[in-house]
Amino acid sequence: MNKRIWLSVLMVLVLMFGLLAGCGSPAEEPAEEPTEEEPVEEPSEDEVVITVAAGAVGQELELTQMAAQMYMDDNPGVIVEVLDTPDLAQDRLGLYLQFFEAQSSEVDVYQIDVIWPGDLEEHFVDLYDYGADAVVGDHFPAIVENNTVEGRLVAIPWFTDAGLLYYRTDLLEKYEFDPPETWEELAQQAQTIQQGERDEGNQDFVGFVWQGDAYEGLTCNALEWIASNDGGTIISPDGLITINNDNAVEMIDMAATWVGTISPEGVTGMAEEDARAIWQGGNAAFMRNWPYAYSLGQEDDSAVKDRFDVSPLPAGANGEPAATLGGWQLAVSRYSENPEIAADVALFMASYDMQKMRAVDGSLNPTIMELYEDDDVLEAAPFFGSLYDVFTNAVARPSTASAPNYNAVSTAFFRAVHNVLNGNTDAATALEELELDLQDITGFDIE
Amino acid sequence: MKTNRKSDLAKREERTAYKLLLPALIILLLIAIYPLGQVFYTSFTDRQFASGQETEFIGFDNYRRLLSVTVQQLEPLVDEETNQIVIDEETAKVIYERPIDVLPREPIRYREYRQFNLMGNRYVLGATDVDFIDAIKNTLVFTVTSVFLELVLGLGIALVVNSNFKGKGVTRTAMLIPWAVITVVSARMWEWMLAPNRTGMFNMLLDRFGLTEGSIAFLASSSFQLPAMIAVDVWKTTPFMALLLLAGLQTIPDELYEAAAIDGAGPVKQFFSITFPLLKPAMAVALIFRTLDALRVFDVFQVLLGQSEYSMATYNYFQLIGNRNMGLASAIGVIIFIIIFGFAIIYIKSLGVEMDETS
Amino acid sequence: MRPHKTFRQRLLKIGFYFILLIIFIYLLFPFYWAVNSSLKTEAQLQMTPATMVPRDPATGEFAPTLQNYRVVFDNQQFVRGIMNSTIIAFSTTALALVAGSFAAFALGKLRFRGKKPTLYLILAMTMFPQVTVLAGLYAVIRTLSLPALISLILSYMIFTLPFTTWVLTSFFRGLPMALLESAQVDGATPFQTFYKIMLPLTAPALVTTGLLAFIAAWNEYLFALTFTSIEPTARTVPVAIAYFTGAVARQEPFGEIMAAAVLVTVPIVILVLVFQRRIVAGLTAGAVKG
Repeated sequence: MNKRIWLSVLMVLVLMFGLLAGCGSPAEEPAEEPTEEEPVEEPSEDEVVITVAAGAVGQELELTQMAAQMYMDDNPGVIVEVLDTPDLAQDRLGLYLQFFEAQSSEVDVYQIDVIWPGDLEEHFVDLYDYGADAVVGDHFPAIVENNTVEGRLVAIPWFTDAGLLYYRTDLLEKYEFDPPETWEELAQQAQTIQQGERDEGNQDFVGFVWQGDAYEGLTCNALEWIASNDGGTIISPDGLITINNDNAVEMIDMAATWVGTISPEGVTGMAEEDARAIWQGGNAAFMRNWPYAYSLGQEDDSAVKDRFDVSPLPAGANGEPAATLGGWQLAVSRYSENPEIAADVALFMASYDMQKMRAVDGSLNPTIMELYEDDDVLEAAPFFGSLYDVFTNAVARPSTASAPNYNAVSTAFFRAVHNVLNGNTDAATALEELELDLQDITGFDIE
Repeated sequence: MKTNRKSDLAKREERTAYKLLLPALIILLLIAIYPLGQVFYTSFTDRQFASGQETEFIGFDNYRRLLSVTVQQLEPLVDEETNQIVIDEETAKVIYERPIDVLPREPIRYREYRQFNLMGNRYVLGATDVDFIDAIKNTLVFTVTSVFLELVLGLGIALVVNSNFKGKGVTRTAMLIPWAVITVVSARMWEWMLAPNRTGMFNMLLDRFGLTEGSIAFLASSSFQLPAMIAVDVWKTTPFMALLLLAGLQTIPDELYEAAAIDGAGPVKQFFSITFPLLKPAMAVALIFRTLDALRVFDVFQVLLGQSEYSMATYNYFQLIGNRNMGLASAIGVIIFIIIFGFAIIYIKSLGVEMDETS
Repeated sequence: MRPHKTFRQRLLKIGFYFILLIIFIYLLFPFYWAVNSSLKTEAQLQMTPATMVPRDPATGEFAPTLQNYRVVFDNQQFVRGIMNSTIIAFSTTALALVAGSFAAFALGKLRFRGKKPTLYLILAMTMFPQVTVLAGLYAVIRTLSLPALISLILSYMIFTLPFTTWVLTSFFRGLPMALLESAQVDGATPFQTFYKIMLPLTAPALVTTGLLAFIAAWNEYLFALTFTSIEPTARTVPVAIAYFTGAVARQEPFGEIMAAAVLVTVPIVILVLVFQRRIVAGLTAGAVKG
């Protein structure tokens, strides 16, 4: 009888270790050093494999793969592999962190969000060491500044994003309005149009949709309100907590009045796609969103096709329009085995020609200023011309100034704003509390 | 240990038992012991996730930061000139000091969690980590309510399916569908159904039946958030409960019911004298695993509520992935572990499941 | 009396089927909504009010689209994901049932010292939230340099093995001791008792726990996302769905996600249909023998 029991125990063990052995790895003695080198394809001796972790979105991914192919054609001996990563920024960050925690050399080049350079800086090489100084002047200075941590260029800008105001041209004409230039104008117009459309029988119509859920998107939206009213950027670039000021209080209180009037109650649960669903169903007069919604709104089955346009966001009473800077950069891992080649790949992918290709074929907004005057680009994406000013004036979130605590700062900020929007408190109280929270998180002084 | 057997028989039995346990223990120890040990250890450090920063041992600081609470009395505001208590002119209520001025800030800052009245005085309950205290509250409310509802519904469904009728097989299959839908996707599906306008199924139906105007913000307004989470979870996991209970019902011999029927016991009496006592072991296990899952609820909260309301596990996730605060996140993990353990013991004791005696 | 009784019986029967109907609606209507959504284009999904069946936004005519399903089937990763998930879920279930039923027999029916601590130890393995153990687990897997499929099967043991062990333990315990004793009197070894007598009797419990463990492994997301990140060919279905993207970044292809959800549920439904008879069959088979 003993034999049978041992047999079954053995069976389980064989099942486990047999499978391990099957892949030819030492299972008994755990190696002390992190095991490395597991490329998807077996490279030959003298070939170098560079893995680029990039977005998985259809055309975006194809364009990245095309650029990789072009690089390989020019550089025999280098294999550039594109590893797709989840589209959800939070999931993508989670993955990257696991790689960094394990100091993995499996990924050489990372596509990173505009808010990550500060927080992840220690895992990336300084691109100035690899010849980035020759090209960095071509890019939008705000992005370059954002990607520079203590004089090190952590990432090269790849494509950019900024908040825009979408408005319905047909409805503005119907109610005889010009595109709003201040938030107050926007609120008035939204109110009038919403009332009018509802009276005509569309009970689902709302004036203005935006991103009010408690997440990074609300930080972007609220930063736009505040910055456009000369209320600062939460934490100033030189590391002072500036959020608790009258201009900021005024704007956040104003936004709270939108909820349930010109914007639906549910706006405090909305992200980009929720807002776009309402907008593209033809049920909103205005929307704050990123440029991606433009091409989708112009698709054939869209209810707003040829009935909308974009403009810079409105301004507060005391300031100039502001758009929060978004977008993605390429950074080279410090744990890469071939940082020179990896940096070369990154700089190639972010070069004029590649960005132009991505702009023309994929409507991805370049970070190289000259491309906004390029005839081919403007022909392929005419609305890029009007975006140039928005991008040059875009406001960066205080991610680099507050690194490595930006995420905690942003979370405290959007949760405070969310509380005001939900009517749990007023902006003055919330910001007074927030100021202390931010001091706890960053250790910075209050202005 | 009973002594009515020869001791070598008992020894043989014991040896067999250890051998039978071996595979399970080897697998679990191989895969789980390091991660679990690491969580315990890390919870006493200030370790940052994915950072080369030096890690220090900080004792119970993480736990203190998560769980410290204080109660402070709020004094009514007194007008300095008239020396009288200030009364709000609109609401005619006494105005008290602001919690922000009263709660201690050193060595660690307390934030306002709730205000309450007791014996004519006004107090503020402060916590160092309001969000986590709130997450504990959310998770407990969620767990108790949803597990209770799942038990009731699951038992109902199991009893129905256990009876003899045409279409039993189809029903048993249909019963499992909600549990089969991939959790992450099911959360997205519910997010869409709960949309705050009439693109969502619920608002569309409520509007069609003329109950509302079809613009209820299920996921944004605080009075609907937890009930929505509970509804989603109950839908998703009632099948789990029902199936486990059904398997338990199947082990109850029919003869018992037949005998009871001969004795003249009605269905209700049969349920309480036969079904319920004999179902208790199956119920205890089902309750333990459901509670364990509910206390760790993650996907539903993360997809549907994000960072507007936390469960303990989503708070844990955002501390780890967002703030990369690995020490603190580990401490949260340990706290969840302890709470779950407490629940498990309560179930085992209260349902009278014998653990070390063979019946 | 008699006609009164049949009337009452009929009433009871109607009541019973009414309850059954409510159960069906409750369980299946949300799934119907997923099917409905999977047959809609983005424009149809954005319609207000939402329609009970896909309708053309302009004319209101019945207009379902199979486009979402086409896209999902064309997605190589999704198709491979179904294969990966099948392999992983089956292996996980098999391993968890084998190891679990061994342990459960010992815990439920044999006498030995340290039973209570063992039970609690096994349960304790599964009490941490997944995200907390993720980093440590990833380190283990990297040290052992396991391929993704194996590492997933092993890491899924964390939540399936304690479950199968505990459920089966409670079922073994419920079996009459007389069976075990009479077998021992007949000279059967404990293993023979386990294999020949106990196992057939617990078939309903085995099928039930097996199904539940299978589905749990099939649905797992966080471990799979992390452990397959560098090995895209090993991605499971939930991860493949998470990698679904729209035409441009940020666009969520909701219709496709729903189509995938419906498609992925089908194999499970078939599996349950095949196995559900066993949930009840086991006991009667055992009773005949006894």
